[in-house]
Amino acid sequence: MNRTRIIFFAVILLALIIVGVSFLVSQLSGNIPSPTAQPIQVRVVSALSIEPWVQDAAQKFNAEKRTQDGRTIVVTVTPMDSVVALGKWDRGEFTLSDSRSAVPTAWIPDSRYLVELVNATYSAKLGRDVFLTDGEYRARPVVTSLFSWGIYDSRYQVLTKKFQTVDWKTIHDAAIAKGGWPDLGGDKSWGYFKLIVPNPRKNAAGLLAMVSAAGEYYDKVTISTEDVTNPQFQKWLKELMGSVTDFSSLSAYSVEDLALFGYSVGDGGQLLESDLLVNMQGIQTRWSDPLRIVYPKYLTWFDFPFTIWMGTETSAAEKNAALQFEKYLLSTPIQTAAAARGFRPANTEVSIAGNDSLFVKWQGQGANARVASTSRMRAPDRDTLQALLRWFDLNVGAK
Amino acid sequence: MKRKGNRNPEVKKTTGCALLVVFGVLGSMIAALCGIVFLIAVLSSSETTSAPTTATIDLAYSLEKDALMQDIVARFNRANNKTPSGLPMKINATKMEAADIVDAARAGKFTAISPDSSLWLAQVDAGRDAPLVGESTRFAVTPIVIAMWSDAAQALGYPQKQIGWQDLLAKAKSDANFKWSHPSTSSASGLLATLAEFYAGANKTRALTEDDVKNRATLDYVAALEKTVRYYGEGEQATIDQVLARGRSYLDAFVVSERLVIYFNGKSSQKLVAIYPAEGTLWQDHPLALLEQPGLTDDQRLTYRRLRDFVLSPEIQKLILQSGYRPVDLNLRLDDPASPIKKSNGVDPAQPQTTLQMPSAAIIETVQASWYLAKRPANIYLVADTSGSMGEQNKMNQAIDALTTFLDQVQGDRDRVGLVPFSNRVYSTIAPQDISAQRAMLKSQVKALRASGQTALLDAVSFAYDDLQKRGDRDRINAIVVMTDGIENSSSIKLSQLTDKVRRGNASGVPVVIFCIGYGSDADWNVLNALADATGGFARRADPDTISKLYKILSTYF
Repeated sequence: MNRTRIIFFAVILLALIIVGVSFLVSQLSGNIPSPTAQPIQVRVVSALSIEPWVQDAAQKFNAEKRTQDGRTIVVTVTPMDSVVALGKWDRGEFTLSDSRSAVPTAWIPDSRYLVELVNATYSAKLGRDVFLTDGEYRARPVVTSLFSWGIYDSRYQVLTKKFQTVDWKTIHDAAIAKGGWPDLGGDKSWGYFKLIVPNPRKNAAGLLAMVSAAGEYYDKVTISTEDVTNPQFQKWLKELMGSVTDFSSLSAYSVEDLALFGYSVGDGGQLLESDLLVNMQGIQTRWSDPLRIVYPKYLTWFDFPFTIWMGTETSAAEKNAALQFEKYLLSTPIQTAAAARGFRPANTEVSIAGNDSLFVKWQGQGANARVASTSRMRAPDRDTLQALLRWFDLNVGAK
Repeated sequence: MKRKGNRNPEVKKTTGCALLVVFGVLGSMIAALCGIVFLIAVLSSSETTSAPTTATIDLAYSLEKDALMQDIVARFNRANNKTPSGLPMKINATKMEAADIVDAARAGKFTAISPDSSLWLAQVDAGRDAPLVGESTRFAVTPIVIAMWSDAAQALGYPQKQIGWQDLLAKAKSDANFKWSHPSTSSASGLLATLAEFYAGANKTRALTEDDVKNRATLDYVAALEKTVRYYGEGEQATIDQVLARGRSYLDAFVVSERLVIYFNGKSSQKLVAIYPAEGTLWQDHPLALLEQPGLTDDQRLTYRRLRDFVLSPEIQKLILQSGYRPVDLNLRLDDPASPIKKSNGVDPAQPQTTLQMPSAAIIETVQASWYLAKRPANIYLVADTSGSMGEQNKMNQAIDALTTFLDQVQGDRDRVGLVPFSNRVYSTIAPQDISAQRAMLKSQVKALRASGQTALLDAVSFAYDDLQKRGDRDRINAIVVMTDGIENSSSIKLSQLTDKVRRGNASGVPVVIFCIGYGSDADWNVLNALADATGGFARRADPDTISKLYKILSTYF
């Protein structure tokens, strides 16, 4: 055997040993990651109103063992109020975390408003948007739900007898009635008129309620910072908010409050249609006084945009896997499940006019799949929203 | 051929050396490689084990739902749930007053809390930039009511007339024999009753402001009213237990949750009715909240969510209804024949009609602070056993520590405290004076106590009692705190004589409450319980928790 052959066999032997030892170690320890075997983690932070639906969808998605480039996709859903999540984005608690696993791959907030607020924060820091508004990865609504008046029928009858209609001006006049319900023609035992508005620092629905009230006050669809800082408007809004029973504990569960505590905590409020629809039966069962649904002239809504984080903390594979889950949420069976929970599907192939629809079931109480002749409020800019929140902090939250 | 077969021995030698070198190098490389691989394996393994994790939740819950929570937690732990990583999902549950839960949560002692009302959650987050309260749900609700004997309520016009806080307060102010109570402001029901007083004092039913609360006229109104309060007690469950034990002569009306009216009526032949105040009430909504404490693990989140789903499950929701709470599962009907929420139990599922407006956390804090100043101050006699047996097992030192802690904890300058040390007899008494005037002197006297002689316990209590009666101070709550370890063996007065005297004196003179703290196993609990029972106080063992919170516990009684 010459020297060249010896070296040749030695190299072959060395290679075999390396491969063998590596295989043995990886089999024994199981700790050395194999990039192709690891599942792709999609972490979704979801608004509370749609979290049960998203959670169910994620379980089904995971059970189907969907893959991307040969790797299984695993979706985990964390429920979080959108205003709380907004605070975490603003403070960098997601992005500045030591752990990459803390950064959500996708966020489904209540409203596009909130996505714009986060983008505004990061545009100032990074000079670019972190959630895209166009292209494949753009924020896309997965369902929508309108805000509508939900009022106990006994109270609705009294209000419409006196004011003909239910709108923010009616509610304001009811709120300032010195003698409470007896002054409005209602029962003495009902006490004062009680409005349900979630705390806007805890629930974006509270912010939208103020936007909607401002729209009606000014009779226009776009409100500005000047409108919000107008002393006359502020006085009117303060009188209105004075009829809210409790800002301390009401957070994300305002319709649940209406159902659990009945007319004792709220005669009514402008609330999420889907929450009203799914709680209608329970409210009747518990309080034997049904709710009446009334659509306002100036309409606001939650559009639940599926937004994919565009920062470097998540990989391209994770972003694409999130996109796959978004498409799954928009699929017909999953959108049908959303409709059964009172949401308006983003997928137009799914109807809410069928006999089994909640919109049809509660038509007699005012629910309607097609809302006629309303004006859609435009999204106020960040400064206007901040001005409303500041006003709330100074005049209501701290009082 | 020749060249092939004719190998040079030098060449063979060189080749052999080369082989040795090559295999030597190879061997070294393999050894190095194995070493590296081993190192990687060890490091990976150590990375895995160096991040300890837990799925156990430390949960604090409020006192009044102790039985229910013990049942729920036991069922949950028995289910042996595990996280996907194999960690056991367990709950360590601790009961405490709702207000204490807030402090403990802010101090980082718990990962989940369940106070009696969501209003405490706002206090947990008060003044914080990032909220500590994370995910939350509610699993049981019950309105707060005024519990009243059926015939007493009818005398006020029930059920035809709507009775309110104003009626109760007017009755309490006009009828000296009318005895009512509400818990201290460290529970939701106590806070509601106090808020109702401040609303009434400010002549409002909503939009209570800080100025309203601090207004002199409001404070005078509340102070006058608080003078009519018979008893505060350690939460509403303690009140119900007292009423069950003593019957209707103990209290005419008291503030509790609707659930406890059902509980009482299930145990007593005398019936209470729940008055849902006309001006409005408040709900206990029993939240279950995860706290975003530093270091909270994903596995703990999973445990919290499993517990959340468990308390919302049909099995537990039915249990909650059977316990007298209103379940959050709206599919469970309150008017079901099996439901305990019905008029025959003194409650009405269609009530309440209205609630009082809940002020902000800042105003609630002001109400709590103002209530403390408005409620009745106390005359307190500390009766300290210094008999010889107190010198054993370090009991004298423990008692000295307890008394010193008590004196340090007496808040403000309104309470008056005196001292009655005794052994064979009562000696060197210090009469009750404003604590601010004699705190240092009392502490120095306590520090100088020495153990010797026998135990004239009854004579010492009798002395303190007579002195309080002689003072006849009706504007204050009068209390005696007894600390003893032994069996009475040196008094001239007998137990039956003393309890008779106390009962008669409390009925005709100023009411005096006696609290007994027993040290060691020798304490005569028959004597201590008899003294406490005769006056509506309590007798307890001197465990560290009782001692450290003694003033706080007692202050809920006066």
